[in-house]
Amino acid sequence: MQRDYQDLAWGAILALLGAFVAAYAATSYEIGNLRRMGPGFFPVALGLVLMLLGAAIGLSALKRAAAPQPLAWREGLGVIGALIIFALLMPRLGVVIATALASLTSSAVAPRQGVLWRLVLCVAVTFLTWLVFVVALDMTIPVWPKVQ
Amino acid sequence: MNTLDGLAHGLSVALQPSILVYSLFGALLGTFVGVLPGIGAMAAITLLLPITYYISSEAALVMLAGVYYGAQYGGAVASILLRLPGTPQSAVTTLDGYPLAQQGRAGVALFTSMISSFCGSILGIVILVLLAGWLAEVATMFGAAEYAAMMIMGLVAAATVGGGAPSKSLAMVVVGLILGCVGTDVNSGAQRFTFGQTQLLDGINLVALAMGLFGVAEVIANITKADRHGPPDRITLRQLLPQRNELRRMVAPIARGTTLGGFFGALPGTGSTISSFLSYAMERRVSRKPESFGKGAIEGIAGPEAANNSAAITAFVPTLTLGIPGDPIMALMLGALVIHGIQPGPMMLEARPDMFWGLVASFGIGNLFLLILNLPLIGIWVSMLRIPFRWLYPAIIVFICLGVYSVRGATFDIVMVAGIGAVGYLLALASFSPAMLLLGFVLGPLIETNLRRAMLISRGDPMVFIERPIACLFVVATTGLILFATCKAIFGSRPQPKDEATS
Repeated sequence: MQRDYQDLAWGAILALLGAFVAAYAATSYEIGNLRRMGPGFFPVALGLVLMLLGAAIGLSALKRAAAPQPLAWREGLGVIGALIIFALLMPRLGVVIATALASLTSSAVAPRQGVLWRLVLCVAVTFLTWLVFVVALDMTIPVWPKVQ
Repeated sequence: MNTLDGLAHGLSVALQPSILVYSLFGALLGTFVGVLPGIGAMAAITLLLPITYYISSEAALVMLAGVYYGAQYGGAVASILLRLPGTPQSAVTTLDGYPLAQQGRAGVALFTSMISSFCGSILGIVILVLLAGWLAEVATMFGAAEYAAMMIMGLVAAATVGGGAPSKSLAMVVVGLILGCVGTDVNSGAQRFTFGQTQLLDGINLVALAMGLFGVAEVIANITKADRHGPPDRITLRQLLPQRNELRRMVAPIARGTTLGGFFGALPGTGSTISSFLSYAMERRVSRKPESFGKGAIEGIAGPEAANNSAAITAFVPTLTLGIPGDPIMALMLGALVIHGIQPGPMMLEARPDMFWGLVASFGIGNLFLLILNLPLIGIWVSMLRIPFRWLYPAIIVFICLGVYSVRGATFDIVMVAGIGAVGYLLALASFSPAMLLLGFVLGPLIETNLRRAMLISRGDPMVFIERPIACLFVVATTGLILFATCKAIFGSRPQPKDEATS
């Protein structure tokens, strides 16, 4: 068994985030007083509380052992990648191509082998998206690439 | 308007075709996502949020509510047949439902869960109507100090009473509160934490946050997890029918479960998941044959299923009468109302009777519809369990993209969903609750505004929270909860025998 590094790390991250929020708010916004709280009052207080909680999480992890959780980094990359691809391509190439590419990207990380089912799924998802969002809901989005 | 007039008026609203369609659509969709492990009511409601911009506020609320209680019905199906809870609320149903299914009596388990869910919901509606009128009257005495104190108590209660480490849940609540500060401060006009991004002037988009935390993060976590089970057996209508003595054994657990769920559902912070666990523990305690629990006891399905459905209905009490959501799903409902410019609160019963009574009536109609429809449809729901998750999630991702884009036509929001989803996945992996973050995010601006107002009225004297009796009560309860959690964290770290009901 090894130390609970995961909680240790998150405790540290949260404490640092709290410190940053409190410091940033204290220097950028007016704190005011209890009677007339400025825009900085609430964030500074929250930042300080988060610092304490982060420290508590990190410190309690020090004396505890825990097995690290398996990280699904492949699946994560596929899904996040699909979202980014869609966001970047949709305004330029239209929703049909963006959907097809996003569907292929996300299904590429599925546990099952094979190409055919991925292509079938890609066509099905693209058709369904077109049907729901373009035909039925009549959303104002570019459907095909703009012809210059 | 008295209760009978109200109900009659509500029925006339809920039976309008334009409302009825959305109610039934929500209930069916809820059952569908409840059946499928890997997508919960939370994700489904999030996906539907953008649609609510285009329909009337009554239709929107009725539809989202339908998803919520529909998912309670559906969640039990996967719990019983696969020992995979479709929703967290139905986790406890696996304990006795799955053993029954293995004995070849899955049909009886499914019937028990449906009839208990139905009874729990209907009795929950009665409790809702009784409590809401009373609470709305009490709430007119509330000032800014009471609201602020009560919301803080609700957050602390949700973080400390629910499962998981209280320090982690509280940290998530605070992160949510901080995220709620992003954007233009309503009180002073200052732009907070926007870092020069004009896209952030209106704050972080609720839809983007919820889709990242509950859509993207759950999809990532479930791609490899959700398909590791064998296909379930087919169920026929005949197998559903229980024996007469089994029917009789359900009555008392349903009554107890409903009461328990109705009470805990109405409290801010506790909700249907906790009430189903409590009901299970209670049934085992009062049973004459406690050893039969865990091996297929009907009582162990009937009680918790009645409790979680009753709690799902009464959870609307604080949301509608006080404007304070008790759980993250209610936070999304509140968000949907605020999108339509409706601020729920004690005046809503009087000012928007269509909304309140229409919703109440739609609960009744939707639940009746689910009961009548689900018995013959059970075969279809069971075959849904055969759809592998890999066929579904690429479509979910595209729907998330278009859903969040449709809110204000900004691809910036899709990129934000991706970022929030990645962080949300890592947080969930370290067992931080994303639900707590969302609860904090929705309540944050309300707490800040009421806190400032209270301090302004009291001329900067914090004693206002002690001198006003109702506010003082909330402050005392909050302090008690924090002390309780601290003691548990310090003294409870030694190894101790685990309670089976909460494991």
